[in-house]
Amino acid sequence: MDDELRFHVEMETRSNIERGVLPVEAHRLAIRDLGGFDQTKEAIRNVRATWVDSVWQDVRYAVRTLLRRRSVAVAAAGMLALGIGITTAMFTVVDALLLRPVPFREPDQLAFVYMGDEHGGHGAVAPAVLRAWRESAGFAGVEAAVPDTSLIEVDGTVVTQAIARVTPGLFDLLGGVRPIRGRLFDVSEVRAGVDDRVLLSEDVWRGLYQADPAIVGRSISIDGERLLVVGILPADFRFPSWNTVIWRAVDFEAPARSRPNVRPIVCVRFAPNVPRADALRIATDAARAADNTNAELRTIARPLAGVVLDPYYRRAMPLLAGGVVLVFLVLCANVSSLLLARMTTRQREFSMRSALGASRRRLIRQAFVESSVLGVLGVIGGLGIGWALVAFSRAFLPDTILLRTLNPLNIDLRALAVTSVSGSVATLAAGLLPAWLGTSVNMEQSLRVTDRGATETRTARAVMRTLLVGEIALACTLLVGATLLVRSFINLAHAERGLDADGVLMATMSLPASAFPYQSSRTTAARSIEEQIGGLAGVERVAWSYGLPPHAGAVSFGKWESDAPGTPAVDMIVDHYSVGPDFFGLFGVPLLRGRTFQWSDPRTEVVVGERLARALWPGLDPIGRSFSFQEQRFHVIGLAREIHFPSLDAALDRPQFYEPFGGVGNYAMMSVRCGGSCPNVALIRQRIVATYPAIHVEDVRALADVYFEQLAQPRAAAALGFAFAGIAMLAAAGGLFSLLSFAVSRRRREFGIRTALGASPVQIRQVVLRDGLVAALSGVAIGAVAAVLLTRTLASLEYRVAITDPVSWALVFGVLGSTTIAASWRPARQAMRVDPVTLLREE
Amino acid sequence: MPKTDYLQGALDLLILKTLALGPNHGWGIQQRIRQVSRETLSVSQGSLYPALHRLEAAGVLASEMTSSDNNRRARVYRLTAAGRRRLEAEAADWRQFSLAIRRLLQAEGS
Repeated sequence: MDDELRFHVEMETRSNIERGVLPVEAHRLAIRDLGGFDQTKEAIRNVRATWVDSVWQDVRYAVRTLLRRRSVAVAAAGMLALGIGITTAMFTVVDALLLRPVPFREPDQLAFVYMGDEHGGHGAVAPAVLRAWRESAGFAGVEAAVPDTSLIEVDGTVVTQAIARVTPGLFDLLGGVRPIRGRLFDVSEVRAGVDDRVLLSEDVWRGLYQADPAIVGRSISIDGERLLVVGILPADFRFPSWNTVIWRAVDFEAPARSRPNVRPIVCVRFAPNVPRADALRIATDAARAADNTNAELRTIARPLAGVVLDPYYRRAMPLLAGGVVLVFLVLCANVSSLLLARMTTRQREFSMRSALGASRRRLIRQAFVESSVLGVLGVIGGLGIGWALVAFSRAFLPDTILLRTLNPLNIDLRALAVTSVSGSVATLAAGLLPAWLGTSVNMEQSLRVTDRGATETRTARAVMRTLLVGEIALACTLLVGATLLVRSFINLAHAERGLDADGVLMATMSLPASAFPYQSSRTTAARSIEEQIGGLAGVERVAWSYGLPPHAGAVSFGKWESDAPGTPAVDMIVDHYSVGPDFFGLFGVPLLRGRTFQWSDPRTEVVVGERLARALWPGLDPIGRSFSFQEQRFHVIGLAREIHFPSLDAALDRPQFYEPFGGVGNYAMMSVRCGGSCPNVALIRQRIVATYPAIHVEDVRALADVYFEQLAQPRAAAALGFAFAGIAMLAAAGGLFSLLSFAVSRRRREFGIRTALGASPVQIRQVVLRDGLVAALSGVAIGAVAAVLLTRTLASLEYRVAITDPVSWALVFGVLGSTTIAASWRPARQAMRVDPVTLLREE
Repeated sequence: MPKTDYLQGALDLLILKTLALGPNHGWGIQQRIRQVSRETLSVSQGSLYPALHRLEAAGVLASEMTSSDNNRRARVYRLTAAGRRRLEAEAADWRQFSLAIRRLLQAEGS
């Protein structure tokens, strides 16, 4: 603007000079002609900036108004912040787990492939099949991996970490994997002499090596071997397992050079020009030709994300996200009715301004600017809350929950976008209605000196009520859902397991073949460990086994053939455990018929659980009978009571049978039954290591804890659901409280007159309480219907609770009823205390 | 220089018409109006510049800063398509208006 005017003055001066005016005079004339520099600038500004200016004026006014009623502003902004914050946090979690594609190049084209049928399949394939797939034309790329655990030795201490043996091309196949230090594998690094290369995760690098940059190029000790670190991968990269942190290059096709029996899982990239079905058909043919055990199986592809992602999450996450949306709505409704109440009390102000010439539009805009200022505060606060919640869950959630995603859990641009969108939605939802209704001015009424009638407009009143009923309904729905989740969790925790896991410690250990080369040396070790531990104070019994409930058993699936004539082969998945003679006694699993094992029993003598017995010999005595599975024949010597694995996924609760424990292998579990109190876990660990330093004790813990950990997800879901319902309940209670207080303050006159006419305080109180109860009951009625309708979606997360569960409903009604009374009590007492005399004096 | 009072609409019309002859800066517009009206009409800068900015905000004018000869920076205005339409409409209005006035004056004079 300055430039422009200066240019003008200059031009004018020049033209004046040309006309023969003296230079000094010419400039003065030019300025004068301009009518003063500053005035002109001001005039231009007035023309240009009206809109921006008046909005700015509104903002300043809004801030002043909000500051004047600080408590309302804080409450409203706080509720918006809470709503926006939990929405952001929940979105971040859902986004990382479900929405975002796996962070690799064209992830749709990537898949795990395996051989299986409709019952499932082995995740891994024979090396011959891997070679066949690589040679077939079905896929653009075929790479393989074997997840395993390994022992890293750092400065004399040994830690267990998840390792994966991978083909060197795996990272290129995935695409988008960049080491933060060093490099990836070279394709040649599987040949003898250079096959000692490993990559470490940033986590291991930071945790075990203090982020020492010199570690790249150095050798570290893994499983007793010296392996050369060639690079560090970012902490977010976890593949093929959710906990893999070390990668070693390996060639699965080399003739049995690595461990025998190692079968890799295979990851492929589909070729863009080959249809999926064709690719899988080609792969099926190739696999059948390469390995005849695949004759009845076909190649099945699974998306990468599904492997790391638990089915529980896929069911629970959308529901929890839905819960968050409901909480968000409750909070918005609450802010909306709070603002509406505020606006209604400001009728006088609005009519005054309207009389002074403010247009309706301007009033609405000004009222809306006020809520937008709150919205901005809410977004800022919400960002803080969301960030805190995400940081909190990163810090406190166990890795088993946190790392179930290939994506990192953090607040990124997408989350910020959701924050601002939810902030705008919240502002619109909470602010528009009050702005519209609150500024509708009835001149005649509101310019009176005193408010005589009920000045609260009918519409505003009706809207506030509707909002409140809606809030209570949503809170009720959430409460029903949360109660069902909590009940499910409690039922799961107390479900019958069929064995007594309390007071049992389990120790998992590996006996490296280097230190225990023969079966006899392992047996000697097992015996003396048994003696050592059995001699500890408080230990009643010790039993060795391979496989332990709830989930460490071996799993076999396929066709089970009974020897009973006319019984067809049964197709099912069965858990089996190799157990010593003491196992049944130690775990309190009663043998219903037959006998337990003796040390002399051959491996083909087995004890079966009830379900397997029922499936194979319906109505017959299983003792003395036999069944065959995969061309092996087993003779039944005993029938044990069924043990159960209580889980939401009924498929995990499988029938079982037991084989005699043939002796300690490379890997074994020891169960310790304690009487009274258990010995210290560290003591057991120390005893074992003191006896045999070569044994690596992976884990010693209470078996009850293992069962409890299985409940981590239902527990988290129940806790989250409960928190959501709690927030919604508090918000609804606050809404009810403020609505009633507000109504009471508006109706003081009426109550005064009633009292003067002879109404007792109790009657007055009842008027208010009834008001609250009517609102609450209508909300509960709607909420209950909604809950019944919505419960179908919750069914997959419920464990032995039905929507008709009387305890849950009693709880819901109890909580809602007491909340309603608690929220109505103070307003009702205020109404009771209206004194007609004081009221008269006030006027 | 006779001081001429006119309606604001007339000022807009003058600016639009002047710019219809070609893009120009503020000073140029002022000179042009003076010359073409043979010194009858003179627009003071105090009203010219606010009017230019108002018309620009309304979208009938567009402007850009140019560096003219010997490094002087000037804002040059030009008519937009909307401005052309506005000019036609306003010119028509003005013609009607002045015709009405003329008729009225003639009626009085006779």
